[in-house]
Amino acid sequence: MSESGSQSGGEHAALEVVDLHKSFGDVEVIRGVSLSAHKGDVISILGASGSGKSTFLRCINLLEIPTAGDVYVAGEKIRMKSGKSGAYLPEDIHQVERLRARLGMVFQGFNLWSHMTVIENVIEAPVHVLKIPKAQAIEEAEALLHKVGIYDRKDYYPAQLSGGQQQRVAIARGLAMNPAVMLFDEPTSALDPELVGEVLKVMRDLAEEGRTMLVVTHEMSFARDVSSSVVFLHEGMIEEQGEPQQMFNNPNSDRFRQFLSRTMQ
Amino acid sequence: MSGTWVTIQLALISLAISLMFGLLGAWAKLSKNYLAQKTAAGYTTIVRGVPDLVLILLVFYGGQELFNSLGTATGLWDYVEISQFAAGAGTIGIVFGGYMTETFRGAIIAIPRGQIEAGVACGMDRLTIFRRVIWPQMVRYALPGFSNNWLVQIKSTALVSVIGLQDVVYNGFVAGKSTRQLFTFMFAVLIIYLLLTAVSDLVLRWLDRKYSKGIVRSDNG
Repeated sequence: MSESGSQSGGEHAALEVVDLHKSFGDVEVIRGVSLSAHKGDVISILGASGSGKSTFLRCINLLEIPTAGDVYVAGEKIRMKSGKSGAYLPEDIHQVERLRARLGMVFQGFNLWSHMTVIENVIEAPVHVLKIPKAQAIEEAEALLHKVGIYDRKDYYPAQLSGGQQQRVAIARGLAMNPAVMLFDEPTSALDPELVGEVLKVMRDLAEEGRTMLVVTHEMSFARDVSSSVVFLHEGMIEEQGEPQQMFNNPNSDRFRQFLSRTMQ
Repeated sequence: MSGTWVTIQLALISLAISLMFGLLGAWAKLSKNYLAQKTAAGYTTIVRGVPDLVLILLVFYGGQELFNSLGTATGLWDYVEISQFAAGAGTIGIVFGGYMTETFRGAIIAIPRGQIEAGVACGMDRLTIFRRVIWPQMVRYALPGFSNNWLVQIKSTALVSVIGLQDVVYNGFVAGKSTRQLFTFMFAVLIIYLLLTAVSDLVLRWLDRKYSKGIVRSDNG
Protein backbone atom coordinates (compact mmCIF):
# COMPACT_ATOMS: atom_id res chain seq x y z
CA MET A 1 0.00 0.00 0.00
CA SER A 2 2.33 2.71 -1.16
CA GLU A 3 1.64 6.34 -0.37
CA SER A 4 -1.07 5.34 2.00
CA GLY A 5 -0.01 5.66 5.56
CA SER A 6 -3.19 4.97 7.42
CA GLN A 7 -4.90 1.62 7.84
CA SER A 8 -8.07 3.07 9.22
CA GLY A 9 -9.79 2.95 5.85
CA GLY A 10 -12.51 5.45 6.56
CA GLU A 11 -10.05 8.29 6.54
CA HIS A 12 -9.34 8.29 2.85
CA ALA A 13 -11.61 9.42 0.12
CA ALA A 14 -12.92 6.44 -1.84
CA LEU A 15 -11.62 8.17 -4.91
CA GLU A 16 -9.51 11.23 -5.38
CA VAL A 17 -8.43 12.80 -8.64
CA VAL A 18 -5.86 15.56 -8.58
CA ASP A 19 -5.26 17.98 -11.44
CA LEU A 20 -5.95 15.53 -14.23
CA HIS A 21 -4.99 16.43 -17.78
CA LYS A 22 -5.57 14.52 -20.99
CA SER A 23 -4.56 15.42 -24.52
CA PHE A 24 -5.26 13.64 -27.77
CA GLY A 25 -2.42 14.82 -29.98
CA ASP A 26 -2.42 18.60 -29.78
CA VAL A 27 -5.94 18.83 -28.41
CA GLU A 28 -6.22 19.03 -24.65
CA VAL A 29 -9.61 17.64 -23.71
CA ILE A 30 -9.18 17.56 -19.93
CA ARG A 31 -7.49 20.62 -18.57
CA GLY A 32 -6.83 20.14 -14.92
CA VAL A 33 -9.80 18.49 -13.19
CA SER A 34 -9.72 17.58 -9.50
CA LEU A 35 -12.45 15.76 -7.68
CA SER A 36 -12.90 13.63 -4.62
CA ALA A 37 -15.61 11.17 -3.74
CA HIS A 38 -16.11 10.06 -0.17
CA LYS A 39 -17.87 6.91 0.83
CA GLY A 40 -21.54 7.16 -0.04
CA ASP A 41 -21.15 10.12 -2.37
CA VAL A 42 -23.09 10.09 -5.60
CA ILE A 43 -21.50 12.56 -7.95
CA SER A 44 -23.17 13.38 -11.26
CA ILE A 45 -20.90 14.72 -13.96
CA LEU A 46 -22.77 16.87 -16.45
CA GLY A 47 -21.63 18.69 -19.55
CA ALA A 48 -22.36 19.19 -23.19
CA SER A 49 -21.05 16.59 -25.61
CA GLY A 50 -17.37 17.27 -26.17
CA SER A 51 -16.93 18.70 -22.69
CA GLY A 52 -14.66 15.79 -21.82
CA LYS A 53 -16.86 14.10 -19.23
CA SER A 54 -16.58 10.57 -20.61
CA THR A 55 -12.86 10.96 -21.21
CA PHE A 56 -12.47 12.12 -17.62
CA LEU A 57 -14.24 9.01 -16.34
CA ARG A 58 -12.14 6.75 -18.57
CA CYS A 59 -8.96 8.34 -17.26
CA ILE A 60 -9.85 7.34 -13.71
CA ASN A 61 -9.41 3.61 -14.37
CA LEU A 62 -6.80 4.27 -17.03
CA LEU A 63 -8.85 3.09 -19.99
CA GLU A 64 -7.36 6.30 -21.29
CA ILE A 65 -3.91 7.16 -19.98
CA PRO A 66 -3.97 10.71 -18.61
CA THR A 67 -1.30 13.14 -19.74
CA ALA A 68 -0.76 14.42 -16.20
CA GLY A 69 -2.35 14.25 -12.79
CA ASP A 70 -2.88 11.71 -10.04
CA VAL A 71 -5.60 9.24 -9.17
CA TYR A 72 -6.00 7.74 -5.68
CA VAL A 73 -8.26 4.75 -5.16
CA ALA A 74 -9.17 4.27 -1.49
CA GLY A 75 -6.07 6.22 -0.56
CA GLU A 76 -3.70 4.32 -2.82
CA LYS A 77 -2.05 6.35 -5.54
CA ILE A 78 -1.80 4.88 -9.03
CA ARG A 79 1.94 5.16 -9.58
CA MET A 80 2.88 6.82 -12.86
CA LYS A 81 6.22 7.36 -14.55
CA SER A 82 7.65 9.18 -17.53
CA GLY A 83 8.34 6.72 -20.31
CA LYS A 84 10.34 7.16 -23.48
CA SER A 85 9.89 10.54 -25.14
CA GLY A 86 8.28 11.83 -21.98
CA ALA A 87 5.00 9.91 -22.25
CA TYR A 88 3.10 9.59 -18.98
CA LEU A 89 2.68 5.87 -18.24
CA PRO A 90 1.65 3.62 -15.38
CA GLU A 91 4.68 2.38 -13.49
CA ASP A 92 3.30 -1.01 -12.54
CA ILE A 93 0.59 -2.59 -14.66
CA HIS A 94 -0.19 -5.09 -11.90
CA GLN A 95 -1.00 -2.27 -9.52
CA VAL A 96 -3.24 -0.73 -12.17
CA GLU A 97 -5.04 -4.05 -12.67
CA ARG A 98 -5.51 -4.45 -8.93
CA LEU A 99 -6.97 -0.96 -8.58
CA ARG A 100 -9.14 -1.31 -11.67
CA ALA A 101 -10.72 -4.26 -9.91
CA ARG A 102 -11.70 -1.83 -7.15
CA LEU A 103 -13.57 0.38 -9.64
CA GLY A 104 -16.71 -1.07 -11.18
CA MET A 105 -17.47 0.35 -14.60
CA VAL A 106 -20.74 0.49 -16.48
CA PHE A 107 -20.52 1.47 -20.13
CA GLN A 108 -22.91 3.24 -22.44
CA GLY A 109 -22.94 0.20 -24.75
CA PHE A 110 -23.26 -2.40 -21.91
CA ASN A 111 -20.28 -4.40 -23.24
CA LEU A 112 -21.45 -7.70 -21.83
CA TRP A 113 -19.42 -10.67 -23.04
CA SER A 114 -21.66 -12.11 -25.70
CA HIS A 115 -20.44 -15.71 -25.44
CA MET A 116 -21.35 -15.94 -21.76
CA THR A 117 -24.73 -16.16 -20.09
CA VAL A 118 -25.93 -13.52 -17.65
CA ILE A 119 -24.67 -15.42 -14.61
CA GLU A 120 -21.38 -16.24 -16.34
CA ASN A 121 -20.89 -12.57 -17.09
CA VAL A 122 -21.37 -11.67 -13.46
CA ILE A 123 -19.08 -14.34 -11.97
CA GLU A 124 -16.35 -14.00 -14.61
CA ALA A 125 -14.22 -11.32 -12.96
CA PRO A 126 -14.76 -12.46 -9.36
CA VAL A 127 -13.59 -15.96 -10.34
CA HIS A 128 -10.80 -15.07 -12.75
CA VAL A 129 -9.54 -11.81 -11.28
CA LEU A 130 -10.33 -11.97 -7.58
CA LYS A 131 -9.96 -15.79 -7.54
CA ILE A 132 -13.10 -16.28 -5.49
CA PRO A 133 -14.31 -19.91 -5.39
CA LYS A 134 -16.89 -20.44 -8.11
CA ALA A 135 -19.68 -21.65 -5.82
CA GLN A 136 -19.34 -18.58 -3.65
CA ALA A 137 -19.22 -16.29 -6.71
CA ILE A 138 -22.42 -17.87 -8.05
CA GLU A 139 -24.17 -17.38 -4.75
CA GLU A 140 -23.19 -13.72 -4.62
CA ALA A 141 -24.02 -13.20 -8.28
CA GLU A 142 -27.49 -14.63 -7.80
CA ALA A 143 -28.14 -12.22 -4.95
CA LEU A 144 -27.01 -9.33 -7.16
CA LEU A 145 -29.20 -10.48 -10.03
CA HIS A 146 -32.13 -10.53 -7.65
CA LYS A 147 -31.24 -7.02 -6.61
CA VAL A 148 -31.21 -5.67 -10.18
CA GLY A 149 -34.36 -7.65 -10.91
CA ILE A 150 -33.08 -9.99 -13.58
CA TYR A 151 -32.58 -13.25 -11.73
CA ASP A 152 -35.17 -15.01 -13.90
CA ARG A 153 -32.96 -14.41 -16.94
CA LYS A 154 -29.74 -15.66 -15.41
CA ASP A 155 -29.18 -18.36 -18.03
CA TYR A 156 -29.96 -16.14 -21.02
CA TYR A 157 -27.31 -14.78 -23.34
CA PRO A 158 -26.95 -11.01 -23.74
CA ALA A 159 -28.33 -11.13 -27.29
CA GLN A 160 -31.60 -12.46 -25.89
CA LEU A 161 -32.10 -9.47 -23.58
CA SER A 162 -33.34 -5.92 -24.07
CA GLY A 163 -30.95 -3.01 -23.65
CA GLY A 164 -32.34 -2.17 -20.24
CA GLN A 165 -31.93 -5.76 -19.09
CA GLN A 166 -28.38 -5.90 -20.43
CA GLN A 167 -27.47 -2.71 -18.63
CA ARG A 168 -28.85 -4.06 -15.37
CA VAL A 169 -26.70 -7.17 -15.83
CA ALA A 170 -23.72 -4.89 -16.49
CA ILE A 171 -24.43 -3.10 -13.21
CA ALA A 172 -24.56 -6.44 -11.39
CA ARG A 173 -21.29 -7.39 -13.06
CA GLY A 174 -19.69 -4.21 -11.72
CA LEU A 175 -21.12 -4.73 -8.23
CA ALA A 176 -19.85 -8.31 -8.14
CA MET A 177 -16.32 -6.99 -7.67
CA ASN A 178 -17.47 -5.21 -4.52
CA PRO A 179 -15.85 -2.02 -5.79
CA ALA A 180 -14.88 1.04 -3.79
CA VAL A 181 -16.51 3.21 -6.45
CA MET A 182 -18.89 2.50 -9.31
CA LEU A 183 -18.22 4.48 -12.48
CA PHE A 184 -21.16 4.97 -14.85
CA ASP A 185 -20.40 6.24 -18.34
CA GLU A 186 -23.70 7.50 -19.76
CA PRO A 187 -25.48 4.30 -18.71
CA THR A 188 -28.85 5.22 -20.22
CA SER A 189 -27.78 7.03 -23.40
CA ALA A 190 -27.98 3.97 -25.64
CA LEU A 191 -31.39 2.87 -24.35
CA ASP A 192 -34.82 3.25 -25.86
CA PRO A 193 -36.71 5.87 -23.84
CA GLU A 194 -39.08 3.34 -22.29
CA LEU A 195 -36.15 1.31 -20.93
CA VAL A 196 -34.34 4.20 -19.23
CA GLY A 197 -36.52 4.06 -16.14
CA GLU A 198 -35.67 0.52 -15.07
CA VAL A 199 -31.94 1.27 -15.17
CA LEU A 200 -32.32 4.57 -13.32
CA LYS A 201 -34.36 2.81 -10.67
CA VAL A 202 -31.54 0.34 -10.02
CA MET A 203 -29.04 3.20 -9.81
CA ARG A 204 -31.32 5.07 -7.44
CA ASP A 205 -31.49 1.99 -5.18
CA LEU A 206 -27.72 1.76 -5.17
CA ALA A 207 -27.42 5.41 -4.20
CA GLU A 208 -29.85 4.91 -1.36
CA GLU A 209 -27.92 1.98 0.06
CA GLY A 210 -24.82 4.15 0.22
CA ARG A 211 -22.79 3.07 -2.81
CA THR A 212 -20.13 5.51 -3.90
CA MET A 213 -20.91 6.43 -7.48
CA LEU A 214 -19.57 8.65 -10.22
CA VAL A 215 -22.16 9.08 -12.93
CA VAL A 216 -21.60 10.73 -16.28
CA THR A 217 -25.12 11.37 -17.48
CA HIS A 218 -27.61 13.39 -19.42
CA GLU A 219 -30.41 12.45 -17.05
CA MET A 220 -31.10 15.77 -15.35
CA SER A 221 -33.70 14.41 -12.98
CA PHE A 222 -31.24 11.78 -11.72
CA ALA A 223 -28.57 14.43 -11.22
CA ARG A 224 -30.97 16.70 -9.39
CA ASP A 225 -32.86 14.20 -7.26
CA VAL A 226 -30.41 11.41 -6.55
CA SER A 227 -26.86 12.76 -6.51
CA SER A 228 -25.21 14.30 -3.49
CA SER A 229 -23.20 16.65 -5.65
CA VAL A 230 -23.03 17.76 -9.24
CA VAL A 231 -20.02 18.66 -11.34
CA PHE A 232 -20.49 20.61 -14.54
CA LEU A 233 -17.67 20.28 -17.04
CA HIS A 234 -17.09 22.74 -19.82
CA GLU A 235 -14.25 22.39 -22.32
CA GLY A 236 -12.31 20.09 -20.06
CA MET A 237 -12.56 22.15 -16.89
CA ILE A 238 -14.94 22.27 -13.96
CA GLU A 239 -17.18 25.23 -14.60
CA GLU A 240 -19.34 24.78 -11.56
CA GLN A 241 -19.86 22.23 -8.80
CA GLY A 242 -21.97 21.98 -5.72
CA GLU A 243 -25.10 20.53 -4.20
CA PRO A 244 -27.76 19.70 -6.75
CA GLN A 245 -30.57 21.77 -5.18
CA GLN A 246 -28.45 24.86 -5.08
CA MET A 247 -27.01 24.36 -8.56
CA PHE A 248 -30.30 23.60 -10.25
CA ASN A 249 -32.28 26.32 -8.51
CA ASN A 250 -29.63 28.94 -8.43
CA PRO A 251 -26.78 28.31 -10.85
CA ASN A 252 -23.77 30.56 -10.51
CA SER A 253 -22.25 30.28 -13.96
CA ASP A 254 -23.90 31.50 -17.12
CA ARG A 255 -22.74 28.42 -18.97
CA PHE A 256 -24.46 26.05 -16.57
CA ARG A 257 -27.60 28.20 -16.70
CA GLN A 258 -27.57 28.01 -20.50
CA PHE A 259 -26.91 24.25 -20.35
CA LEU A 260 -29.89 23.82 -18.03
CA SER A 261 -32.21 25.86 -20.16
CA ARG A 262 -31.22 23.82 -23.22
CA THR A 263 -31.66 20.44 -21.55
CA MET A 264 -34.55 20.97 -19.13
CA GLN A 265 -37.34 21.89 -21.49
CA MET B 1 -4.38 -47.99 -48.70
CA SER B 2 -0.72 -47.26 -48.19
CA GLY B 3 0.17 -43.59 -48.11
CA THR B 4 -3.12 -42.56 -46.51
CA TRP B 5 -1.50 -42.42 -43.13
CA VAL B 6 1.32 -40.27 -44.57
CA THR B 7 -1.27 -37.89 -46.02
CA ILE B 8 -3.10 -37.67 -42.70
CA GLN B 9 0.11 -37.01 -40.79
CA LEU B 10 1.17 -34.46 -43.36
CA ALA B 11 -2.16 -32.67 -43.10
CA LEU B 12 -2.21 -32.63 -39.30
CA ILE B 13 1.39 -31.56 -38.84
CA SER B 14 1.12 -28.84 -41.47
CA LEU B 15 -2.12 -27.77 -39.76
CA ALA B 16 -0.29 -27.35 -36.45
CA ILE B 17 2.41 -25.33 -38.19
CA SER B 18 -0.12 -23.16 -40.00
CA LEU B 19 -2.06 -22.50 -36.80
CA MET B 20 1.12 -21.41 -35.10
CA PHE B 21 2.13 -19.14 -37.95
CA GLY B 22 -1.44 -17.87 -38.29
CA LEU B 23 -1.71 -16.87 -34.64
CA LEU B 24 1.75 -15.32 -34.63
CA GLY B 25 1.03 -13.51 -37.89
CA ALA B 26 -2.33 -12.17 -36.68
CA TRP B 27 -0.74 -11.01 -33.45
CA ALA B 28 2.08 -9.31 -35.37
CA LYS B 29 -0.28 -7.62 -37.81
CA LEU B 30 -2.40 -6.23 -34.98
CA SER B 31 0.53 -5.25 -32.77
CA LYS B 32 1.73 -1.70 -32.45
CA ASN B 33 5.27 -2.83 -33.18
CA TYR B 34 6.35 -1.50 -36.58
CA LEU B 35 8.86 -4.26 -37.29
CA ALA B 36 6.37 -7.02 -36.38
CA GLN B 37 3.73 -5.44 -38.61
CA LYS B 38 6.01 -5.17 -41.60
CA THR B 39 7.44 -8.65 -41.18
CA ALA B 40 3.96 -10.15 -41.06
CA ALA B 41 2.85 -8.09 -44.07
CA GLY B 42 5.87 -9.29 -46.05
CA TYR B 43 5.20 -12.88 -45.00
CA THR B 44 1.56 -12.97 -46.07
CA THR B 45 2.31 -11.14 -49.32
CA ILE B 46 4.99 -13.63 -50.34
CA VAL B 47 3.38 -16.91 -49.29
CA ARG B 48 -0.02 -16.01 -50.66
CA GLY B 49 1.44 -14.63 -53.87
CA VAL B 50 3.46 -17.64 -54.99
CA PRO B 51 2.11 -21.05 -56.09
CA ASP B 52 2.47 -23.71 -53.37
CA LEU B 53 4.14 -26.02 -55.85
CA VAL B 54 6.89 -23.50 -56.59
CA LEU B 55 7.56 -23.04 -52.89
CA ILE B 56 7.67 -26.77 -52.20
CA LEU B 57 10.20 -27.35 -55.00
CA LEU B 58 12.18 -24.30 -53.89
CA VAL B 59 12.33 -25.40 -50.27
CA PHE B 60 13.07 -29.04 -50.96
CA TYR B 61 15.83 -28.47 -53.52
CA GLY B 62 16.98 -24.90 -52.94
CA GLY B 63 16.40 -24.86 -49.20
CA GLN B 64 18.55 -27.88 -48.60
CA GLU B 65 21.39 -26.38 -50.60
CA LEU B 66 21.10 -23.06 -48.82
CA PHE B 67 20.92 -24.68 -45.41
CA ASN B 68 24.01 -26.79 -46.05
CA SER B 69 26.13 -24.02 -47.53
CA LEU B 70 25.21 -22.02 -44.46
CA GLY B 71 26.40 -24.92 -42.32
CA THR B 72 29.66 -25.22 -44.23
CA ALA B 73 30.27 -21.49 -44.10
CA THR B 74 29.72 -21.20 -40.38
CA GLY B 75 31.03 -24.61 -39.48
CA LEU B 76 28.10 -25.09 -37.15
CA TRP B 77 26.66 -28.21 -38.66
CA ASP B 78 27.61 -30.94 -41.10
CA TYR B 79 25.60 -32.01 -44.10
CA VAL B 80 21.94 -32.28 -43.22
CA GLU B 81 19.33 -33.83 -45.38
CA ILE B 82 15.92 -32.24 -45.25
CA SER B 83 13.44 -35.06 -45.54
CA GLN B 84 10.66 -34.91 -48.07
CA PHE B 85 8.18 -35.04 -45.26
CA ALA B 86 9.72 -32.13 -43.37
CA ALA B 87 10.00 -30.01 -46.51
CA GLY B 88 6.41 -30.78 -47.49
CA ALA B 89 4.79 -30.33 -44.09
CA GLY B 90 6.90 -27.25 -43.36
CA THR B 91 6.16 -25.54 -46.63
CA ILE B 92 2.44 -26.27 -46.63
CA GLY B 93 2.24 -25.21 -43.00
CA ILE B 94 3.99 -21.94 -43.68
CA VAL B 95 1.95 -21.21 -46.81
CA PHE B 96 -1.37 -21.84 -45.08
CA GLY B 97 -0.13 -19.91 -42.07
CA GLY B 98 -0.39 -16.91 -44.39
CA TYR B 99 -4.05 -17.59 -45.04
CA MET B 100 -4.68 -18.36 -41.37
CA THR B 101 -3.07 -15.04 -40.45
CA GLU B 102 -5.71 -13.18 -42.41
CA THR B 103 -8.53 -15.36 -41.08
CA PHE B 104 -7.48 -14.86 -37.46
CA ARG B 105 -6.81 -11.16 -37.94
CA GLY B 106 -10.29 -10.65 -39.30
CA ALA B 107 -11.78 -12.70 -36.47
CA ILE B 108 -10.03 -10.69 -33.78
CA ILE B 109 -11.12 -7.42 -35.38
CA ALA B 110 -14.72 -8.68 -35.41
CA ILE B 111 -14.82 -8.88 -31.60
CA PRO B 112 -16.53 -5.72 -30.30
CA ARG B 113 -13.86 -3.49 -28.82
CA GLY B 114 -16.07 -2.71 -25.83
CA GLN B 115 -16.00 -6.32 -24.65
CA ILE B 116 -12.23 -6.20 -24.42
CA GLU B 117 -12.47 -2.86 -22.65
CA ALA B 118 -14.91 -4.38 -20.16
CA GLY B 119 -12.26 -6.99 -19.38
CA VAL B 120 -9.62 -4.32 -18.90
CA ALA B 121 -11.93 -2.29 -16.69
CA CYS B 122 -12.51 -5.11 -14.23
CA GLY B 123 -8.80 -5.67 -13.78
CA MET B 124 -8.08 -8.62 -16.10
CA ASP B 125 -4.49 -8.99 -17.25
CA ARG B 126 -3.73 -9.43 -20.94
CA LEU B 127 -3.51 -13.20 -20.79
CA THR B 128 -6.87 -13.51 -19.02
CA ILE B 129 -8.49 -11.21 -21.57
CA PHE B 130 -7.07 -13.31 -24.40
CA ARG B 131 -8.08 -16.60 -22.81
CA ARG B 132 -11.53 -15.66 -21.56
CA VAL B 133 -12.78 -12.93 -23.92
CA ILE B 134 -10.81 -12.96 -27.18
CA TRP B 135 -10.09 -16.65 -27.81
CA PRO B 136 -13.63 -18.09 -27.51
CA GLN B 137 -15.06 -15.39 -29.76
CA MET B 138 -12.12 -15.42 -32.15
CA VAL B 139 -12.62 -19.14 -32.75
CA ARG B 140 -16.26 -18.57 -33.56
CA TYR B 141 -15.56 -15.75 -36.04
CA ALA B 142 -12.61 -17.61 -37.55
CA LEU B 143 -14.33 -20.96 -38.08
CA PRO B 144 -15.91 -20.34 -41.51
CA GLY B 145 -12.65 -19.01 -42.96
CA PHE B 146 -10.65 -21.64 -41.14
CA SER B 147 -12.84 -24.43 -42.52
CA ASN B 148 -12.20 -23.21 -46.03
CA ASN B 149 -8.45 -22.99 -45.46
CA TRP B 150 -8.33 -26.43 -43.91
CA LEU B 151 -10.13 -28.17 -46.77
CA VAL B 152 -7.81 -26.56 -49.30
CA GLN B 153 -4.86 -27.45 -47.08
CA ILE B 154 -5.77 -31.16 -47.00
CA LYS B 155 -5.94 -31.16 -50.76
CA SER B 156 -2.66 -29.28 -51.05
CA THR B 157 -0.83 -32.13 -49.38
CA ALA B 158 -1.18 -33.95 -52.73
CA LEU B 159 1.51 -31.63 -54.07
CA VAL B 160 4.21 -33.36 -52.04
CA SER B 161 4.10 -36.32 -54.41
CA VAL B 162 6.21 -34.21 -56.82
CA ILE B 163 9.15 -34.31 -54.41
CA GLY B 164 8.76 -38.07 -54.12
CA LEU B 165 7.04 -38.34 -50.78
CA GLN B 166 5.01 -41.51 -50.78
CA ASP B 167 1.65 -40.10 -49.87
CA VAL B 168 -1.67 -41.49 -51.02
CA VAL B 169 -1.46 -39.78 -54.42
CA TYR B 170 2.09 -40.96 -55.15
CA ASN B 171 1.31 -44.52 -54.15
CA GLY B 172 -1.97 -44.57 -55.99
CA PHE B 173 -0.36 -43.25 -59.13
CA VAL B 174 2.56 -45.69 -59.01
CA ALA B 175 0.29 -48.64 -58.28
CA GLY B 176 -2.13 -47.56 -60.98
CA LYS B 177 0.56 -47.28 -63.62
CA SER B 178 2.24 -50.58 -62.79
CA THR B 179 -1.03 -52.49 -62.77
CA ARG B 180 -2.44 -50.52 -65.71
CA GLN B 181 -5.48 -49.76 -63.62
CA LEU B 182 -4.93 -46.05 -63.21
CA PHE B 183 -8.62 -45.22 -63.09
CA THR B 184 -9.38 -47.66 -60.31
CA PHE B 185 -6.49 -46.50 -58.16
CA MET B 186 -7.04 -42.80 -58.68
CA PHE B 187 -10.72 -43.29 -57.98
CA ALA B 188 -9.79 -44.92 -54.68
CA VAL B 189 -7.57 -41.91 -53.93
CA LEU B 190 -10.50 -39.63 -54.66
CA ILE B 191 -12.68 -41.53 -52.20
CA ILE B 192 -9.97 -41.33 -49.53
CA TYR B 193 -9.75 -37.55 -49.88
CA LEU B 194 -13.53 -37.28 -49.73
CA LEU B 195 -13.56 -39.34 -46.54
CA LEU B 196 -10.90 -37.12 -44.98
CA THR B 197 -12.79 -33.94 -45.84
CA ALA B 198 -16.09 -35.45 -44.70
CA VAL B 199 -14.63 -36.30 -41.29
CA SER B 200 -13.18 -32.80 -41.10
CA ASP B 201 -16.57 -31.38 -41.88
CA LEU B 202 -18.12 -33.28 -38.97
CA VAL B 203 -15.47 -32.03 -36.56
CA LEU B 204 -15.83 -28.46 -37.81
CA ARG B 205 -19.60 -28.57 -37.38
CA TRP B 206 -19.15 -29.78 -33.84
CA LEU B 207 -16.71 -26.92 -33.18
CA ASP B 208 -19.13 -24.45 -34.69
CA ARG B 209 -21.90 -25.60 -32.37
CA LYS B 210 -19.59 -25.50 -29.39
CA TYR B 211 -18.39 -21.96 -30.06
CA SER B 212 -21.68 -20.47 -31.22
CA LYS B 213 -22.97 -19.99 -27.70
CA GLY B 214 -24.75 -16.72 -27.26
CA ILE B 215 -25.54 -16.16 -30.91
CA VAL B 216 -29.18 -15.67 -31.60
CA ARG B 217 -30.01 -16.97 -35.05
CA SER B 218 -33.05 -15.85 -36.94
CA ASP B 219 -34.21 -19.44 -37.32
CA ASN B 220 -33.88 -19.99 -33.56
CA GLY B 221 -31.41 -22.80 -34.27
